[in-house]
Amino acid sequence: MSDDVMISLDHVSKRYRGQKVPAVENVSMTIHRGEIVVLVGPSGCGKTTTMKMINRLIEPSSGRITLDGADVTSLNPTELRRRIGYVIQQGGLFPHMSVATNIGMVPRMLGWDRRRIDARVDELLDLVGLEPGQFRNRLPQQLSGGQQQRVGVARALAADPPVMLMDEPFGATDPLTREHLQNEFLRLQEKLQKTIVFVTHDFDEAIKMGSRIAVLGERSRIRQFDTPERLLAAPADETVAQFIGAGASLKQLNLRRVGSIAYDEAHLVTSQESPAAVLRHLDESGDWAVLTVDGERRPLRWVGPRDLRPERDTLDGVGIPAPTVEPRATLRDALDAMLTCGCGAAVVVDDAGRYRGVLGIDRLMRAITEMRETERSRDRGVAEASYYRPPMPRTLAAPAQRGGAR
Amino acid sequence: MTFLEYLQSRRTLLLAQTLEHATIVLTAVAIATVVGVLIGVATYRHRRGRAIAVAVAAAILTIPSFALLGLLIPPLGLGYVPPLIALTLYAVLPILRNTVVGLTEIDPALREAARGIGMGPLRRLATVEIPLAWPVILAGIRVSTQMTMGIAAIAAYVGGPGLGHQIFSGLANLGGVNSLNQALVGTLGVVILALAVDLCLALLGVLTRPGRGARSAARNPRSAPPAGAAATAGTAH
Ligand SMILES: Nc1ncnc2c1ncn2[C@@H]1O[C@H](COP(=O)(O)OP(=O)(O)OP(=O)(O)O)[C@@H](O)[C@H]1O
Ligand SMILES: [Mg+2]
Repeated sequence: MSDDVMISLDHVSKRYRGQKVPAVENVSMTIHRGEIVVLVGPSGCGKTTTMKMINRLIEPSSGRITLDGADVTSLNPTELRRRIGYVIQQGGLFPHMSVATNIGMVPRMLGWDRRRIDARVDELLDLVGLEPGQFRNRLPQQLSGGQQQRVGVARALAADPPVMLMDEPFGATDPLTREHLQNEFLRLQEKLQKTIVFVTHDFDEAIKMGSRIAVLGERSRIRQFDTPERLLAAPADETVAQFIGAGASLKQLNLRRVGSIAYDEAHLVTSQESPAAVLRHLDESGDWAVLTVDGERRPLRWVGPRDLRPERDTLDGVGIPAPTVEPRATLRDALDAMLTCGCGAAVVVDDAGRYRGVLGIDRLMRAITEMRETERSRDRGVAEASYYRPPMPRTLAAPAQRGGAR
Repeated sequence: MTFLEYLQSRRTLLLAQTLEHATIVLTAVAIATVVGVLIGVATYRHRRGRAIAVAVAAAILTIPSFALLGLLIPPLGLGYVPPLIALTLYAVLPILRNTVVGLTEIDPALREAARGIGMGPLRRLATVEIPLAWPVILAGIRVSTQMTMGIAAIAAYVGGPGLGHQIFSGLANLGGVNSLNQALVGTLGVVILALAVDLCLALLGVLTRPGRGARSAARNPRSAPPAGAAATAGTAH
């Protein structure tokens, strides 16, 4: 096998004691360095069991698992686990320890000195977007759910492990927070290039996060192991198609990022601008609205001709709040933002929330059309309507082989 | 003599007996804490093991104290040792039972998180499990302390130390001079001592609440008191 294989599962099965049917049966897959492999499938199909066998929280009944070329059963389990970051649902933080102690746990076990641990803790808090001075000494119960999950991710990253296992890490948060955490995590991953096994039962999350996605069925059987694009375009069988669910073409919006398409520019004004001047600009340019921004060029509101009251001096509080998206957000997120404000445009902002451009609904439509055309030309011969219906011969391909291919 | 005059005249003796009483109870509870926590830790994972341990401790508690004290005299003689052993045996059950409850009530996800980030079994016990179970264990220690306070009074009957002497000599010559004062002062002494010690333990509970040390522990994790030290800290009072 090539050296860029980080984790491989070779005919792995697990039967829990006292159970007739195995929870995981004969699973083989290879995971390459630096990719995010998402295990997705219905509840109880064995995702967690499969993942926990990698760090030996669960011992396989048969089969072989290697990590960076070494059979995991030949390694000391506690040492193995210190080399693998582990994030579980709701963070799994120790409630009686401060945020800093939680994060510093693995470095401490590895014998780092205190100064180095303290520095590392602050660095990680920064990395996951929590201000160290404010959060270092808090207890987990003094954090919101999303903040706890960030700390959970920071703890897993503490000793800079090459591999991370994440079991529904963003499971217990509201959709908005989840989207934010996902974007943030993708931004981190661009820098860190970890090898990640990510478990979820949310298919949209799988499409967004995964370099490759393994759709699992009963007993963790791999139904399809493919890139998100291929999975949406050509589900291997009826079950996978069902799992992808209705609206596969809408889900393709999850594949493209806001940053990958061109932006328009808006006319920026401060809130101190006079309504009369704005009205003049709108008349001359034919723009549908101007965007008010604060001193840091952070977008505030869209102001159209009908919002303007010539008798007032400023634009304070005038117009409708402008929805924003980050370049890392998906087109789907952008569409959501446009629909919620009903204004047909989302403002693209950088990490600090500053204006970078405007994404209009027409640009979005053009991107969608392009995507469909590329898809269609790639799958020439597959009728457009058969998005859900598998091309017959492909169903017969063994999932394991499919998984081996990059 | 009035009650207060009696108190005045026997001040030194009464203080000494109170101190003896407190010492034997706290020593017994300290030993019982070590024994109870150790047995709890060793058995809580195994359903059969912890059932047997708790049943044995419960059975011991049903032996009438007179009988147990009496039975310990032939092999050990009169004096300090038989009551200490008897009190320790009685004190084990609440501590053992609460240790088992405290440890089994820990969220399995936390235990797994500890395992998942690479903590070995001993480290898990010392840094996660015992600290989280500690409030429940301490509640058991308080029950044991209250219970043995009363039983310790009976130790005087077999030559043991403590306020029991006041009660027994009072009851032995009921109707005699000062007999009522003696019985009263012994009984009240035990009650007041019990309340005072319980107050100290409650305070200890506040001071050792999990997470309380987080502020300093954040800078220096090693300075957090290890569970063993906290468990025996009660004897220092
Ligand atoms: N410790 C255990 N003992 C016995 N059976 C178990 C144990 N853990 C899991 N199982 C069973 O194994 C199967 C797979 O469980 P697993 O937790 O891996 O599923 P999952 O895909 O992670 O599900 P979910 O999405 O609900 O988390 C389930 O049928 C479950 O009941
Ligand atoms: Mg699971």
